[in-house]
Amino acid sequence: MPPIDEPAAMTNIVPLNKETYRHLKVDSRASAAFDNRRFVQVIVKEFPLLLVHYPILFSKDPQTGQFFCGAMLGFDENENLFFEDWQQRELYRPLYLQRGPFYGNGPELAIDLDDPRVGADSGKPLFTDQGTPTRYLQSMIWAFQDLTAGTEMTQLFIARMLELKLIEPVDVEVEFDDGSMRRCIGLYTIDQDVLARLPDAVVVELFRRGYLRLIDYMIASLKQVPVMARKKNLRLLKATAGLASAVG
Amino acid sequence: MKAGGVSVTLVESPDIKIIGVGEGTWPTMRASLERMGVSETDLFKHCDAAFKQGGKFAGWTTGAADDAYYHPLMLPHGFGQVNLVPHWLRRENNQSFCDFVTPQGRLCDLGLAPKLITSPEYKAVANYSYHLDAGKFAPFLAKHCIEKLGVRHVLGNITQVNQAESGDIRSVLTQEAGEVPGDLFIDCSGFNALLIGKTLGVGFKDCGDVLFCDTALATQVPYDTPDDPMPSQTIATAQDAGWIWDICLPTRRGVGYVYSSRHTSEDAAHVALAKYIGRELPARKIPIRSGHRETFWKNNVVAVGLAGGFLEPLESSAIVLVELSAKLLAEQLPANRHVMDIIARRFNDVTLYRWGRIIDFLKLHYVLTRRTDSAFWRDNVDPATVPDRLKELLALWKFHPPWFFDEFDRLEEVFPAASYQYVLYGMGFESESSPEALMDTELQAHRARQDVERQTADLRARLPTNRDLLNRIREYGLQPV
Repeated sequence: MPPIDEPAAMTNIVPLNKETYRHLKVDSRASAAFDNRRFVQVIVKEFPLLLVHYPILFSKDPQTGQFFCGAMLGFDENENLFFEDWQQRELYRPLYLQRGPFYGNGPELAIDLDDPRVGADSGKPLFTDQGTPTRYLQSMIWAFQDLTAGTEMTQLFIARMLELKLIEPVDVEVEFDDGSMRRCIGLYTIDQDVLARLPDAVVVELFRRGYLRLIDYMIASLKQVPVMARKKNLRLLKATAGLASAVG
Repeated sequence: MKAGGVSVTLVESPDIKIIGVGEGTWPTMRASLERMGVSETDLFKHCDAAFKQGGKFAGWTTGAADDAYYHPLMLPHGFGQVNLVPHWLRRENNQSFCDFVTPQGRLCDLGLAPKLITSPEYKAVANYSYHLDAGKFAPFLAKHCIEKLGVRHVLGNITQVNQAESGDIRSVLTQEAGEVPGDLFIDCSGFNALLIGKTLGVGFKDCGDVLFCDTALATQVPYDTPDDPMPSQTIATAQDAGWIWDICLPTRRGVGYVYSSRHTSEDAAHVALAKYIGRELPARKIPIRSGHRETFWKNNVVAVGLAGGFLEPLESSAIVLVELSAKLLAEQLPANRHVMDIIARRFNDVTLYRWGRIIDFLKLHYVLTRRTDSAFWRDNVDPATVPDRLKELLALWKFHPPWFFDEFDRLEEVFPAASYQYVLYGMGFESESSPEALMDTELQAHRARQDVERQTADLRARLPTNRDLLNRIREYGLQPV
């Protein structure tokens, strides 16, 4: 998972200014090309919003091996079981995806002009006729303020969890009614045995820093795995039923 | 230190330099360091460490240009269930024994690392140990032991050893730090063998009649560019009178010629080394006295490291023995002086057995040669130079290829049966086996072979290059989980 200000390959990122880009529009909706993924990076500030829909787990960046926090969205590659909900603008969509084609540029924003979501006629304008940021652009500015500070806070949280040996690998293994199995590897969660043995002083420290709450959110969010599995199961059954009627 | 009521003091001479040529290790090192609580990331960052996935032996069998085999660190696939040797011996394809039973030789050929940046510290995808800068490793460990494990460090030259009437050492006197008393003394004084040899008079069993190499010329070779590919195998290339080691660290190579001074001159050895490297570089001469103490634990003195013995640096065996001896000592540390002699006897039995097995295993590399082009190789196959036990095993292995249960009965065998398989069948040893024996395990062997090929393809696709992973580890570190 790249840091927020590191663009992917083949981009044309320019600082955003109201003179040149006064009339630019951006499609802010969830789109298959960007939002269909099974895992997305999140920041600790989002945990309360995520917990009610998605399992929150740790994973490792394949390029650096560093831990990051993420929300699980599906079981298969490029599968987002919440995509339709997001298109309807229901359910919370993590900031890393809400950001769309925007990038950080110090305190300012930059935008990738080669991103297909940029320039769409149906998109949202960035500036008003008076040249002030629209509500949409303002929300992006706030999103980046959250992401910049939040990524650092999340790293601090992870570092403390590692120090206390509170991170352990978890095997997410699910069997579906069509007989298929999914095993998601490279995921980590809170080690509850280690948690239970922490000395009182450390528990108080974690509580004061707000980490105990985050830990509880992560543990509770694991209950979303079976909920997601049921969602996926229904889809698989529908697909099988469709196949059966086509054959019949 | 107060772990289990034991306090450890290290008395180190500030003047005696370390030998510093042992740059290869055995996978036991991973367990040793993890047990000590060393961070593997720190090891990579501070000791110029790199991965080692085995040894490649070039020119040992025939001396021909294409003569080479691997002794990888992964066990043959399914080693606990099926012995693949008889199946390979049918030679239904041109694969080497190593490629037949494991992906690791091919990983080495491709310059791939044995793990991923997402693999936790000390966890392997393909079994590995380290190549490292011995000159940096020693102070790195000393610092860890002092700061994290509470070992007391005394810098001082020992000028006098005080003994009790029983012969036990009571204390050592240092010029710089006065008298250091102790209940148990571990002699790590190197070739000096100050306590075990000079003070207690324990004799030295020379094994130069079995292993002829008695001198090493060691040098360091810089890379042409910082991104030169790095093999993760120790390359040992046979020469007229010994062999040349070639070990790749991230910042330089360590290269040296280990030779028998009875079979070549120092000048000729320098020429051979320069020819191998492609240019002349200054080389340090190190004498090797192959052999070990007759007893390793006498009175209240235990010899570990060079004080206990030394062999040519083939297969990183010396460092393995240091680790195994330290572990044995830590696990069986005598509760008091009364039981010390009982434990000492056990320690001596096990350690003597281990030295014997290491000598056998090193000799195995020589005794299977078909080279007759120099006296060194011809003399090496002279039966008078082969230990009896090894002779017996070679006779046995003609009909019973070594495997899981054979012969190797000790809990912590230094080199497992798998290592013998790799050397024997890497060097073209012939074993006969009955077709019936094959039929019983046909299906298991077939499955194991399929697994090896599948695993090879999978690892080729997933693993980064050795150089790439080392760069990433130095930049980002490995995670503890």
